[in-house]
Amino acid sequence: MNDVALNIVIVEDEKQIRRFVRSALEAEGCRVFEAQTGKQGLIEAGTRKPDLIILDLGLPDIDGIEFIRDLRSWSAVPILILSARSTENDKIMALDAGADDYLTKPFGVGELLARVRALLRRQGKASEGGTVVVFGDVQVDLARRAVTRAAVPVHLTQIEYRLLCLLIANPGKVLTHRTLLREVWGPSYVESSHYLRVYVGHLRQKLEADPAQPQHIRTETGVGYRFQP
Amino acid sequence: MNIHQFLMLGKTAWIDPPKVNYGWAVIACVLTAAMATPLRGILDLTNIVMLFLLTVLFTAARLGRGPAVLAAFLSVALFDVFFVPPRFSFSVNDAQYLVTFAVMLAVALVTGQLTAGLRRQAAIASFREQRTQALYEMARGLAGAHSVSQVTKIVRQLVRVEFGLDSILLLPDATGDLQPTSQSENPPQLDRQFMYMAYDQGEPVEDPYSGHGYGAGYFQLRALMRIRGVIVFAATEQKPGMVHDLKPFLAAVASLVAIAVERLHYVEVAHATQMQIVSERLRSSILSALSHDLRTPLTALVGLADSLALTRPPLSTSAAETCEAIREQALRLSNLVGNLLDMARLHAGQVRLHKEWQPLEEVIGASIRLLGSSLVKHPVRVTLAKDLPLLEFDAVLIERVFCNLLENAAKYAPPGSAIEITAGTREGSVAVSVCDAGPGFPSAKEDTLFDMFVRGVAESATPGVGLGLAICRAIIEAHSGTIAASNRAQGGACVTFTLPRGNPPLIEEEAEEGNGKGRL
Repeated sequence: MNDVALNIVIVEDEKQIRRFVRSALEAEGCRVFEAQTGKQGLIEAGTRKPDLIILDLGLPDIDGIEFIRDLRSWSAVPILILSARSTENDKIMALDAGADDYLTKPFGVGELLARVRALLRRQGKASEGGTVVVFGDVQVDLARRAVTRAAVPVHLTQIEYRLLCLLIANPGKVLTHRTLLREVWGPSYVESSHYLRVYVGHLRQKLEADPAQPQHIRTETGVGYRFQP
Repeated sequence: MNIHQFLMLGKTAWIDPPKVNYGWAVIACVLTAAMATPLRGILDLTNIVMLFLLTVLFTAARLGRGPAVLAAFLSVALFDVFFVPPRFSFSVNDAQYLVTFAVMLAVALVTGQLTAGLRRQAAIASFREQRTQALYEMARGLAGAHSVSQVTKIVRQLVRVEFGLDSILLLPDATGDLQPTSQSENPPQLDRQFMYMAYDQGEPVEDPYSGHGYGAGYFQLRALMRIRGVIVFAATEQKPGMVHDLKPFLAAVASLVAIAVERLHYVEVAHATQMQIVSERLRSSILSALSHDLRTPLTALVGLADSLALTRPPLSTSAAETCEAIREQALRLSNLVGNLLDMARLHAGQVRLHKEWQPLEEVIGASIRLLGSSLVKHPVRVTLAKDLPLLEFDAVLIERVFCNLLENAAKYAPPGSAIEITAGTREGSVAVSVCDAGPGFPSAKEDTLFDMFVRGVAESATPGVGLGLAICRAIIEAHSGTIAASNRAQGGACVTFTLPRGNPPLIEEEAEEGNGKGRL
């Protein structure tokens, strides 16, 4: 994955899950540190200088949300959530608390590695600060505020553009409805999710090859949206 | 004298005093005449008249109106015979005494009347006070009652001790039928017709037919929120007109009982709600724990199979196939667990919908993406009407509906055939159909398809336990929609569900660029 071995802390109480996650990540050349409990996980996170934390939400000792809040108060390390809970609410709460992405159990090694790679790549990219973002046949020039699709200029309204910028600034990350509404429309709109849905629909109409089955602006049902370059 | 005794005397006690009182009146007048005779030389006739008037006044005060009237006439007669000259005869020498007689009679009658009236008022007041006291005692008892049987007991005791009446409390049962709340030893005859007349009309109904003073009174229990039932009062002894005479008082008793019954009803409701919250919390924590405990080993199974497949050097072909099979089976089991937990949640009827206004298109796209590889052999064609409004639904649950329908279609339709999703508006709703080119539903089974554990073909090789459509129905019905299965004319199965249109919120148009910071 990288020349320098990346450190990954996995906080999970089930031994067999830790085992296969560890072997999958080690096969990718990462160094993996295991923690069985939330408290131990926080200690590992403080001492190992991890590049990524994989966190099971159903920990025996502390609530996963508490773990994220605690960690976020002193670290910006990406957090990937493993959730076996069936309600979307837990995922939303974890994401709003500062988690970066989630995987719903059961998941395969392929999905896990894809998410891990996306998160690590994003972290590396954040420092680059490129001004032109390309996905599919769409090119967004952030400096000139110009959007083209197959070299044809696309007209976006102010809100559409702001929404697009927010999405492409967080590639691969799930942005909750609440976050998007707050950032684009303002705090008084956080409950008006229909605005968001309608404008995402507009963006898809203008930028996606098949708006009904979007490839880049993906729906995370009940949670939010994810931009996939 | 308690109210009971008072009434035993009859409510006309102040009008019809016992006969002996007339005797006392006569004796009083004769005594006055006897006492006044020796004073004849000393006192003026005018003052003798005063003595007689005093006697009439006392008679009225002590003995009632009738004796007072008798005393008035008797006094005039005695005064005439024994004091007015010529004595011992009714004849009068001086005509002016006729005026004296007239005035004396008038004054005696009026004072007698007034005094008797006052006495009667006092009696009524004290009777009322006792009734109020009794009502107050009952209200206090009812306020502390914590069951209907206690209410019944308190009321029964009051009306039996105070009035010698029997009381029966009738409350509607689950079907709205009035049922007595307790059994008494020899219950009075109840007339269902009168019971329901009182229950429905609100006016107290008296039974005019049973006669002999046993006529029961039926009173509606009208509380603040609704009519709670009927209370029946019936005489236990032969006291004619009893219920009739006490009507206003019994109506007051009925309204107190109504308030008590309503209060008990709300106590019950509050208790039930609390129980429901507790059991709901328990159920949801059990389901969530179950979900966690079942998914954790399945996750390990899927992941371990994956890592086994990725070991180096690579596995032999057959071992790799075994790995893949383990993975597949684990995922299938996980799906099944998911379906069962969903069904348990939905079946409890307590699913809280996170309804939001949204376009249908998005959730369809998400479902297709979610199924991913299982749809490779079946291209999905989505045809949505251009004028589809925003719909209010729970995206996660409707996604589940689409996934189940698409999975079914993919399972039964021949590889390569397309699955079609169409949506169009109907009056008041939007209808969505998912159709395939498979063998269709067995014709006789269309009605039962949506029941739990029912499959089109009972023991087919196609995997599944028959929960998919049952879950779809539960979800759609939770959204106040309908779902139905049909076969297409050209072959293939079709499942159509509707969602109500409601009143979608308006989306304000965005101010275009050029107006500075365009905001919604």
